[in-house]
Amino acid sequence: MPVPWEALIPFGLLTVMFGASGTLLNLSTRAQNLGKPIRFNIDNWDEMMMKRDEQLTGHKRGQRDDPAPPPGFETSSVWEAHPTR
Amino acid sequence: MSSLQSGSVSPKPYVDPTPLPDNVPKVQELGLTSAPLKSAAFFIGAYCKEFNEDFMLCKAENREPSHCLKEGRRVTRCATDLINKMRENCLSQFQEHWNCLERNNQEYYMCRKPERTLNACMFEKLGLTKTIPGAPAGQKPIHEVESPIFKAVQK
Repeated sequence: MPVPWEALIPFGLLTVMFGASGTLLNLSTRAQNLGKPIRFNIDNWDEMMMKRDEQLTGHKRGQRDDPAPPPGFETSSVWEAHPTR
Repeated sequence: MSSLQSGSVSPKPYVDPTPLPDNVPKVQELGLTSAPLKSAAFFIGAYCKEFNEDFMLCKAENREPSHCLKEGRRVTRCATDLINKMRENCLSQFQEHWNCLERNNQEYYMCRKPERTLNACMFEKLGLTKTIPGAPAGQKPIHEVESPIFKAVQK
């Protein structure tokens, strides 16, 4: 008896579509986070630390464990300035 | 004034390149980023307790930046000293732990295995233990519990 392979096409389509979009999302978030999983539940402290990490390494998720900072670190803090008039 | 509603103009980034004046003693800042700092946090607390408490009490008096510069320099020097010692003695365990933290949203509970090796190395080489201040007195601290409820998938 012939196998009803046409009935399995929708299953295949759904699997491929979910798989492709999930993989794409995963790759996209990892690419934006230097290959690491994305950070979630970030509070103000974490925001501040990631800003400091950007000052030290050039990327929000960059990490270094050298106690000597790169030159110019002491004066590279970025403040947000608002126009007053 | 009325044209500048909050949110209508985005803040411009401003960098001030002026260094500190010469009458302030120079201390090299700690160049560690967030994950290694989080890994070393409890050891910094154990090693630099007096300096940290001095700084916090000073800040409690007066939040002006210029008021607590001396205590701040002491904190920086003590933390740098400890990090140098940690790197000398336990570099691989330290790096493994903070890399694990960085892969897991910087959560301690996901990285107990590397943490145990780091704690053992730190106790053996430098005599420092991790104690959680404010932990309930009778029970085991959470980092020593054998089978916690919140944990990584693989043991």
